[in-house]
Amino acid sequence: MPAGHGLRSRTRDTFSRPFRKKGPTHLSTYLRTYKIGDYVDVKVNGSIHKGMPHKFYHGRTGRVWNVTKRAVGVEVNKQVSNRIIRKRIHVRIEHVQQSRCHEEVMLRIKKNDQLKADAKVHGKIISTKRQPEGPKPGFMVGGATLKTVTPIPYDVVNDLKGGY
Amino acid sequence: MVFVKAQKSKAYFKRYQVKFKRRRQGKTDYRARIRMINQDKNKYNTPKFRFVVRFTNKDIIAQICSASIAGDHVLASAYAHELPGYGLEVGLTNYAAAYCTGLLLGRRVLKKLELDEEYEGNVEATGEDYSVEPADSRRPFRALLDVGLLKTTTGNRVFGALKGALDAGVDIPHSEKRFAGFSKDNKQLDAEVHRKYIYGGHVAAYMNSLLEDEPEKYQTHFSEYIKRGIEADNIEEMYKKVHAAIRANPVQKKVEKPAPKEHKRFNLKKLTYEERKAKLIERLNALNAAAGNDDDVEDEEDDE
Repeated sequence: MPAGHGLRSRTRDTFSRPFRKKGPTHLSTYLRTYKIGDYVDVKVNGSIHKGMPHKFYHGRTGRVWNVTKRAVGVEVNKQVSNRIIRKRIHVRIEHVQQSRCHEEVMLRIKKNDQLKADAKVHGKIISTKRQPEGPKPGFMVGGATLKTVTPIPYDVVNDLKGGY
Repeated sequence: MVFVKAQKSKAYFKRYQVKFKRRRQGKTDYRARIRMINQDKNKYNTPKFRFVVRFTNKDIIAQICSASIAGDHVLASAYAHELPGYGLEVGLTNYAAAYCTGLLLGRRVLKKLELDEEYEGNVEATGEDYSVEPADSRRPFRALLDVGLLKTTTGNRVFGALKGALDAGVDIPHSEKRFAGFSKDNKQLDAEVHRKYIYGGHVAAYMNSLLEDEPEKYQTHFSEYIKRGIEADNIEEMYKKVHAAIRANPVQKKVEKPAPKEHKRFNLKKLTYEERKAKLIERLNALNAAAGNDDDVEDEEDDE
């Protein structure tokens, strides 16, 4: 029999629930809220059969563009031949997690806003730009003893004794 | 047939997946809970309130709860053991008491949300099916009945509590199919029978029948009633007074508990990294000292 290419083909492992995590899903999955513009990871929950995305989207991250009663619309990038298409899929809550990819940016935005507000109060000019790690500063090596190593003169006798 | 020792091997334990804690305790039906708590995502953070009714052997617990990831948040609660403050001292877990508890919770929640003036509910309990009508300014308070693990048979006390909350003015989607007095043959609710149950008529009838047939059993079974001078005829009056008292002042009495002098700990406090290192050094020193003593003893033996 030839190999089938059905909707859920080759998903034996990716759609299976993790070890000792089978059965009902915990309630926090249902209590999380998603707003338009949030970044979400698509991760299929094999025990919930409704609203499952296609296996391609498992592990992809995208932005929410629509919120419905039980699902969210996620806009994910998909490479098709020579271009990347922005695909809009609808996925049930159980197959979606809040992504932390944007978390660092959001924290930095908040911190920078705070810094700028403080600087404005004091009348100082600051730059909130990130600087890449520069070369390490110079330092003095401590507790080092100097050991001078000189080459020993060539000893013909001893050398021939080994080989030859 | 070979008799094999029944053993739970190490492999069994390694592979065993425990159910959720509350499922292990047999207290929560997660299938029902998921469906009750699930709020439409396009309603974002709007809370979904549950009218939770639970019965213990001697008490009735009624709460209005909303779910959150940190834990459920209780908006208001009412217990049957508060009813003595409103004039009901006996029969705290019967249908009539459930009605009173539901009524108390309903009025309490409405008062908290300042909806009690607008939504009086059904002041005179008739046993008929009553649903709150939305008033002009604010919509009625909506909650969903949460029965837990009960069998929802017709005439269950949980529906007595439901009726109490409905008559208080809370909007709870329901059907009259499970109220006491609904007959399956007619497919109709007999309001008279339901009203009897709300006012403890079924208890009064039992009291009368016991008085006639088995007066000794009446003495033992209804001893608390007799002690307080409650007879079959006064029961309805008593419940009417309780309902009025509840509507007059549903506010929960706050019990002031003195803060305990020292905080009781039920588990060992976690040690810090420094403390753990110090402990280890102590143990090693002790071991070395003991080993040293042993060595000394051995050396002495060797010497000798």
